[in-house]
Order: sequence, then C-alpha cells, then structure tokens
Amino acid sequence: MKYLAVSSVLVAGLLAAEPRVTYLKDVAPILNKAGCTSGPCHGAAKGKNGFKLSLRGYDPQFDYEALLYDLSGRRFNRAEPGKSLMLAKPTQEIPHGGGLRFETSTTYYKTIFNWIAQGVPFGDPAKDKVATLAVEPTDIAMAKPGEKLALKVTATYPDGTTREVTREATIESNTPDVARVDAANATVAGERMGEATLLLRYEGKYATIPVAVLNPKPGFVWKPLAQHNYIDQLIDAKLQKMKVQPSGLVDDAAFLRRVSLDLTGQLPAPEEVRAFLVDVTPNKLKRSKMIDKLMAKPAFVDQWTMKWSDLLQSSRKFLGEKGTYGFREWIRESLAANKPYDAWVRELITSSGSSYESPEANYYRTTRDAKATMEKTTQVFMGTRMVCAQCHDHPFEKWTQNQYFEMSAFFSGVGVRPGYEVGEEIIYNQRADFEMKHPKDGRVMAPKYLVASAGAPPLPAYDFDARKRREAFANWLTSRENPMFAKSAANRVWSYFLGRGIIDPVDDIRASNPPVNAALLDALTKDFVAHNFDLRYLMRTIVNSRAYQASITTNEWNATDVTNFSHAMPRRLGAESLMDAVAQATGARPNFPEVPDDTAATQLPDPHVGKEGFLDLFGRPTRETACECERRTELSLPQALNLVNGATISDAVADPKGRVAKLVLSGRPDAAVVEELYLASLSRLPSKAEAESGLAYLAGGPRAGRAQDLLWALLNSKAFLYSW
Amino acid sequence: MLSIPGRAVRNCDGVSRRELMRIGSIGLMGLGLPEFLAQKASAANESAAAKKYAGARGFGQAKSVIMIFLQGGPSHIDIWDPKPDAASNIRGEFKPIPTKIKGTHISEHMPMMAQALDKATLIRSMSYTPNGLFNHTAAIYQMLTGYPPDKVSPSGQLEPPNGADFPNIGSHISKMKPMTEPVLPFVELPRPLQESGIIGKGGAAGFLGKAYDPYRMYQDPVRPIQLDDLSLRKDVPADRLKDRFALLKGINQSMPDLEKALDSYAIDEYYGKAYDLVLSGKARDAFDLTKEKDTMRERYGMHTFGQSTLMARRLIEAGTKFVQVNWPSVANGDPETTAWDTHAANFGPLKNLHCPKLDRSLSALLEDMDQRGMLKETMVVAIGEFGRSPKIGVSTSGNSNAPDGRDHWPYCYSAVVAGAGIARGVQYGESDATASSPKEKPVHPNDLLATIYYALGVDPDMEIRNHLNQPRELVKGKIVADLFG
Repeated sequence: MKYLAVSSVLVAGLLAAEPRVTYLKDVAPILNKAGCTSGPCHGAAKGKNGFKLSLRGYDPQFDYEALLYDLSGRRFNRAEPGKSLMLAKPTQEIPHGGGLRFETSTTYYKTIFNWIAQGVPFGDPAKDKVATLAVEPTDIAMAKPGEKLALKVTATYPDGTTREVTREATIESNTPDVARVDAANATVAGERMGEATLLLRYEGKYATIPVAVLNPKPGFVWKPLAQHNYIDQLIDAKLQKMKVQPSGLVDDAAFLRRVSLDLTGQLPAPEEVRAFLVDVTPNKLKRSKMIDKLMAKPAFVDQWTMKWSDLLQSSRKFLGEKGTYGFREWIRESLAANKPYDAWVRELITSSGSSYESPEANYYRTTRDAKATMEKTTQVFMGTRMVCAQCHDHPFEKWTQNQYFEMSAFFSGVGVRPGYEVGEEIIYNQRADFEMKHPKDGRVMAPKYLVASAGAPPLPAYDFDARKRREAFANWLTSRENPMFAKSAANRVWSYFLGRGIIDPVDDIRASNPPVNAALLDALTKDFVAHNFDLRYLMRTIVNSRAYQASITTNEWNATDVTNFSHAMPRRLGAESLMDAVAQATGARPNFPEVPDDTAATQLPDPHVGKEGFLDLFGRPTRETACECERRTELSLPQALNLVNGATISDAVADPKGRVAKLVLSGRPDAAVVEELYLASLSRLPSKAEAESGLAYLAGGPRAGRAQDLLWALLNSKAFLYSW
Repeated sequence: MLSIPGRAVRNCDGVSRRELMRIGSIGLMGLGLPEFLAQKASAANESAAAKKYAGARGFGQAKSVIMIFLQGGPSHIDIWDPKPDAASNIRGEFKPIPTKIKGTHISEHMPMMAQALDKATLIRSMSYTPNGLFNHTAAIYQMLTGYPPDKVSPSGQLEPPNGADFPNIGSHISKMKPMTEPVLPFVELPRPLQESGIIGKGGAAGFLGKAYDPYRMYQDPVRPIQLDDLSLRKDVPADRLKDRFALLKGINQSMPDLEKALDSYAIDEYYGKAYDLVLSGKARDAFDLTKEKDTMRERYGMHTFGQSTLMARRLIEAGTKFVQVNWPSVANGDPETTAWDTHAANFGPLKNLHCPKLDRSLSALLEDMDQRGMLKETMVVAIGEFGRSPKIGVSTSGNSNAPDGRDHWPYCYSAVVAGAGIARGVQYGESDATASSPKEKPVHPNDLLATIYYALGVDPDMEIRNHLNQPRELVKGKIVADLFG
C-alpha cells in the first residue's frame, strides 16, 4: 500500500513536470488547426470513415465524447499514449485517409500526448474557454502595395490569463487579390490597391481587421466637390482618406434617364426629356423637383410594389391566383399610402385571418413551416442568412444552432387551415402542441431574440401563447433600437439606387462581411428611423445626393474603385424595365395573357404571366425564395441571341402601328426622325456626329427599313440596355 | 468583392494581376475581363487537374460527350443483362444472344448492339440506394447532377427546376470549357426530361445561372427543324444584319466613356458570338439533317430517337461540347407507345417498339462515330435513371405493377460507355444470379459522373460555389479508372 502510494507520488511528480493540458484549452485548437474538424474531413455532415466531429469544432463537448467513448474508447490509449489512434493517424504511423497532419516532433504531438497521459481531462469551461480575442494591429493601412505586416492574435481566458494563439488561429482574407494572408507565418501582404477584410477565428471567437492598400502614385490632391447632403460628406471623408477623387455630376439627360428608371422602372418620354433639357432652373433644384415629380407618378408605386412582391414571394404557386392578386393589392395600397415601413412589417408578422379578407396573412402561406418562415423573415427584414445554422453553428457568424431554433420558436404556433371559399385559407394561432423542438434531443426550445435590442419587451414565461409570440417578435424586430432592422432596410434601398449595398450582398450581413463605410450606413439608418421609417424620404435623400448623381466617367484616382461610391457604375436594366423600355421606344407593347392590354411588365401580378419568355430569360425573379439574388442582370450569349435575332426587338421595331411606322408616315424630315429615335431609346439628343451618321444611314436605302434598322441598333446598344 | 477560385497565376504573356484589375483597360487578347478571368480560372483549374492526374490512365482524352439519357428506366435484365438460368418469374420471355464481348450475352432483341459492343464497355454493376421512394424525377436529378434532391414529397415528386438546383453536368462543362468557335456549347434534344407535371428537373444550370442552360431543341428531327433564333429572319437577310451590326458598332463607339466602363463585361464578345452563330450558320447547319444522305438517316432509324442521335453526332462534329439526347417520351409515359417505364406490358413493347429503336440507333451511332474516328475524343454514355425489378409483377417503388410489368430498380442496372479511351469490347462489373445487386465492382452514378469529368480533364474533387457562395464538391464520386483500356 505504502509502496503504491510512493510510486504514484513519483509518477505524479514526473507528470507534474509537464504543463497541465485540457481538451478545451489545448487539444481542441489543435484539432481545428490541423484540419480534423474541417468540412471536407471529419467535420463533414457524416464525418469520415466512421469518425465524426463537429464542424470547425463548434461543439467541444460532442467532439470530446466522440474521441473518448466511440469505438469502445479505442481512439486513445492511456497506458501507452503513443499508440493512440488520435496520434497514430494524423502522423501517418497508421494509414490515414486525411494524410499527414503533423509530425511526431511537433508541439502538437507533445500536447496531445501529454493530454492523454494526464488522463484526458476535458477542462473547465469557466476557466478554459476563450473569453475574448484580441488582434494586432486592429486596423491596417498600407501606403502602397508590396508592404507586409505580421499579425498577432491573443486569447484571454475568464481568469484573466492570456495566451498568444497566432499559430492556431485561422486567418483569411476576403479579397486575396488585395490583401493576401500567408497562413504559415501569420503575415498579410498588400497585393494591389483596394480594400479587404481579414477574418480571424479561434475557438468560436471572431475578429476582423480592415485593410486598406493605398494608391502609391504620388501627386494626389483632393479636389472638393459640392456636397448635397450628409451622404456626400461621409462618402467624401472616406474617399479623401483612401486617396480616391470622386467623379463629378452626370449630365441632365443621363440623370433623367437613370433616375426615371430607378424610381419608376420606366424611361422618360421624349417630350419629358426635351422639357427637362431646356429648363433653365438651377441644376440642383431642377433635379430635386424632377425627383418629386417622378415619385408622384403611378409608375413609382407600380415599380416598388413589384420589388416588394418579389421579396415577399407573391406568387400563385404559393397563394393561388386570388391570393396573389389580394396580396399584391395589399402591398400596393401600403406603398401608395406611404405607410411607414415598420408599420406594415408589423402588420405582416402579426397577421391572421382569411387569406381573402386579410390579404397580409398570405405572408404565412408562402412558407408554411416555422423554420422556413423564420429564415425568410430574417433574410428580408434583417438582411441575415440563418439557413446555415440549422445544421451547425454558422461558420462565419456568431449564430448558433440553438439560436436557429429559438428564433423559429416565435413562428411555431402559426397554423394554416382551409377556409370556406374555394382556395381560401385561414391563418390562425394554435393553442397547444406547437412547441419548437431541437432535432438532436427533442428538447423544447423557448423563443429568444437573436440579438439584444435596448428597450425590447421582455419575453414572458416561455409557454406564452402563439399570438403573443408573434407580437413580441414583431415589436422586437421593428423597434427603433433593433440593430439590424432599419440598418438592413437602409442598406437594401441604397443598393437599388447605387447598384451595390454599403454591405454587399444586402441579405448576407455578418461579422465577416463588414460595411465599406460604417459611418455612412449608421447615418442613413439613423435618418431613416428619425423620419419614422419613411421609405420615400429615404429614397429622396439618396437620389438627391451628389454620389447618386455622379457620372460613370472616371479619373486616374478613382478608376479602380468599385465599392466606395466615388462614381456611378452602369447597370443593366431589369427584365421588366427592359421589356417596358422596348415597348415605349418602339411604340409597340406586347399583350400579356390574363391581364388587360397595355399592361406594363412592371405591373404583372406574378412570374406565372409570360413564363419561359423574354422576362425569365432576362432574369426576372421567380419568387421561389426571398433572396435578392433571384434577380439576375447578366448579359451573355442566350440574351444576346434573343436581342439580336429574337422576335421581341425585331418585331417591335417593324410593327406597322409602332413609332417607326408613324414617323415614316408623318413625312417629317430625316433629321427629326433620327432625333426622335434617339430621344425615345437613349433618352437624349444625338450629338452632331451621331446625327450625321444617322442621316447618312437613313439615306442609304428604303426609308422605312433603314429607320427600323436604326432603332434596332439603338435598342441593342449598351446605352439602351444599361442605365448609366 | 472579387474572389478568383484557384491559385492566381501569371498568364503566358507575363501580365501581372495588378494590370488585369485595372478596370477600363482594353481587354487583353481582345477579351473582356470576366471572360479572361473565366478562361484563366478554368485554365488554372485545368492545369491543377493536369498536374494532379498527370499520366493517369484515361485522363483528359475527351473533348466532348454525348449523353444518351434513356429516361423511364429501361429494364436491364431484359436488354443488357439476361439471366436465363433464373426462375421463370425473373428471367422473363427473352432469350440471350452472344455479343462481340467474349462471354457476354445480351437480349435477343438487341442484335445490332451485340455486334457494336466491340467498341464499348458494358457496365452491369450500376447501383445506388436512394433516400426514400425513388420515382423518376429524383432519380434523374441524382443521375445528372450528382446530388440527391433537396425536397422530395412522400411519393418521390420534386419541385420544378429552380435557381438553387445543382447544375446538370452539361452546364458545368459549358462553364468550365468556354467555347472558342461559333457553335452552341451545350444542347439538349429532342424533348425535356419529364415525369408527370415536373419538366426539366436536373436538366438545367440551376445555381450556375441561365447563361449555362442548354440550348433546347425541342422539335422532332424526323421533320425539318425550324430554329428562329439561329436562322436569319425573313425580313433581315445576311446583308441587312451586317448593316445593322455596323450601325450598332458605330453607336456604341460614339460613347467611349460607357464603352470603357463596360469593357470588363465582355458584351461585345457575346454579341460577336450571337452574330457569328446567326450569320455563319454553322450551328444551324448542324441541326439540318437534310444535309445527310437518306441512307445514313435510315441507318440511324427514321424515328425521333434515331434522328436525334444522328443530330448529336453532327453537333459534336460542329464543335458542341455536350449533347444530351433524352429518350423521346415522358419518363412515366405510356409503355405501350413510347416509355421505358414498363410497370405493365414489359415484354411486348420492349420487343416490338423500344428495343428495336435503341438497338438500331445506338449501334449506328457507335459504328458511325468509330468509322469517322470520332470515338477518340468523344465519350458516348447510354444510361437510364435506374433499371427494373428482377422479379416480375412485384411493387418496389410504391407504384402498382401489372403481373407482366417490372417496377423501378436502382440497386443494379446497366450502362453502355464508349470513346475517349474507354476499353473496347469488355464488360465491367457483374451482377448476381438474378441481376438484383452487383456481385463485384459496383458503380455509383456519381462515380460515372466523376469518370466523365475526369475524361474531360476536369478534377471531380474540385470545389464549386453555389448561389449562396457555399462551397460544394463538383461531384462526390470516385473515378473508375479501370473503365479505361
């Protein structure tokens, strides 16, 4: 007995020479760094070769148990640590499908060896889980490409101790062309001028470092331009720092075309262009008045009804025909009355009743499952994609799988049952048995807000009823203090006018996707909230800014900037606008089935109308999901083939009742014909050279045919297909 | 943010990445930036794949593929894998005949294929176990995209095609191998994939975007084909189209700032291709079967399927990279007229209608292509989405079957592959005594897809990104290198 006690003291003494090693603090980071828990390896949905770990180690308890208890504990060998599978496999002492992960001579090997020898302790979450992560430097600005910098990552534990974890941290750049990370040495090199964000991860904690690689060219002199409102002030502040000179204002004709398309989805009529060009009112005021005029047009309401119907998936596939028309009308009425955004979102979320009599309740017919409803709600109204978190903690964001189900629990009490009329459904609140259960162990998940919102109503006791859940959610979501509601809306609306969000993509807001100009986004958000969530006010503020009205022409200092709004970028017309623009320019509008003649494409009720035709080819959203990405604006071979040789443009220019026919029959001189065709399609007058070459072309053959050719060419030109 | 997959390399001209990124510079080699980057990315991927598989058997020999997709699920035991010694309720009514593959017999109703098999490999061990019930749409999607379907109703029905679907293999190839001549890269004919009301699932570009959808030629090639978008319009003959293009060029060039801003979008490139496609007529001519001798047309068989396979050969000759010939019937259509889906009347229709068509057309294709030397660089694959149950008259898929019918059977079925280095005149894999499951060398449909990619010089393990920018494997399958001779 005494002998045993003495020898165990001796052994303990020997072991005490090695540092204390726990799973949480020391071993889990090794598994992550060595790639064991990565997606292609044991972190895969089904693991690999019968060994499954949580993806990127987000669940250390699970991983610990897998290592210890699976396969009757064969993965480690306490008596002879070196013989453990845990060590033999990654060092390839035994064949390993994943290859060599580290050598036996490394500290990784020694650490795991010691851990096994010490009796595989798990560790104490109160002491061994990382509390905070600190990075150095916190902000990187390189004066020119070619510079290199070392990074340092430090973890702090709850007891205040720190440890440098640079080597085990995962460090990535979201734009390797600008800032390239050398993971082996934890350095970052500036490759070319631009901006990037470094993403650092260690044991469930994240940090980001903004990187700016400035233009090395000497001689930059900031030339201040007029600032129309705070938007320009905040954009200029950043541009000046980045040595990027903004472009000046675009000319009147291009402005009118751009803003008409953006606000109303339609081209300005030739008479409107002429009137705008001869108006001698000072520029800023003239444009501001035109903006107000456009926002008063019925087409303005049509355009935004269409866009919100896209995001809310108003489609007969989910709602039936009558439901679709009803839902669309509710959206239209809300926008026509300029109902505050928070008010109508709240109405949607808390809606109940008949899909015919309370059409906003159709919100719960496009998705019928609490999880799907939660996913689309967070994507549209918070700009966040929760979908990944359903099966594992979100890899690039702090959302956990638990939070996924806690958020879904707000919607688990929504019931849908058939109504009395044909095709009618009733949305109601269930009374019992509607709890959200976690798929792993069936435990009830109480609803819980994703992020704290100052002033959010406290959640009552967890078994509160289904109606109260949705009310609580709606109040939390639309509250002025919710950090994501107003912000994501301001960002999204911004993207409709500038072609790109301040955070982009607009429905993928996450820690690893920061805004290019946080001050700008914050100011926009604050302004939007201060004006009672007035969408029209927000739009008016944006389109009155100099940044929106900038030209596409670049200078030597902003030619490579595509993210900081230093100049406008050409944007292809959306499918519906393109079709309407062709109709307007040619005077020949195609008739769609089931709607009255002369209905514009932007007024169509849902994607079923005109299916598989021009609109779908040009990327009209199918409304199958709530993703902004459904709308596509590429211009590649199939679209070019259709424009060049398809019926849409070719038939329209030759229409006997169309604009060309009328012009030719009117007997007006050729010069007038050329001018009107330019005004009708490109919304501007032809230059002297363009007028001359147009005239020459018309004179070169039979007048009607040549005029058709000219209009065909104008409609196929980039200046027509793109807004600039 | 712009993120280029693969390792960025200097191109052959030694141009640095910095120069490439200068938006507004006239594109290198006359190409716009996305085209150049797409070519560079695919070139980078290609060279990475070439390094990985350097010298490996069968790698990169194929330049094009003809996928003959026998939608409906032909009965393997009655066509390719007879079991004359099995019980009477399994072996069926047909007798076996010897083939040019030593020791291998196929159905008596495939005599021409029995001769043509000296050019091909007959795989008898295709096999997979689907999740839940496996009606046609789910199986077709699995077969052609390499992924099981996302949402499946209890009866195995799927949602219609949408922008989140995995892409058809032809779409992937379309993207990875940009065209350099005025032909269509990916063509599907003569009708879409279909089960009941679900049309085209698994046959489109899904999350790659419509630019990579196939060109759909849904007309019966027995009759003259009318291709409006590829043919010059009656009122716009070639000269007028040329005039229009010249005028267009002038209009575009008169706005140099816009040209500069759009330089990287390669619009002129696409317009050029569209123009070439219409004007050169090369693509249109490929569809014109009147250019073939009547004897040739009859050799392939004067029916929709036969003329479609002939058209496929012409498309490949013109430079198309991937042609998918769908068996011209709704998958679950009427077996007594067009469909392989013989839940009832398995034997009569196979003997009198379907097998003779398949026999003549497929053998004609193999012989014709072999004679022209086209099998060197084109891979031909003939396969359905599953086979049919060895036991006659039993239900295996939740469908009802007549006493003379066979139900769906994915656990063991057959395929014919030829060309691009595939071994000639051999059988690969073997089924058990009742053709119910593979006895050796099972081939999962993903493995077949992986092998096709491999033959085209593409690494099947490469990572792709879906519409949410999530990383996915191109296909989760193993290359079957032993298929190559």
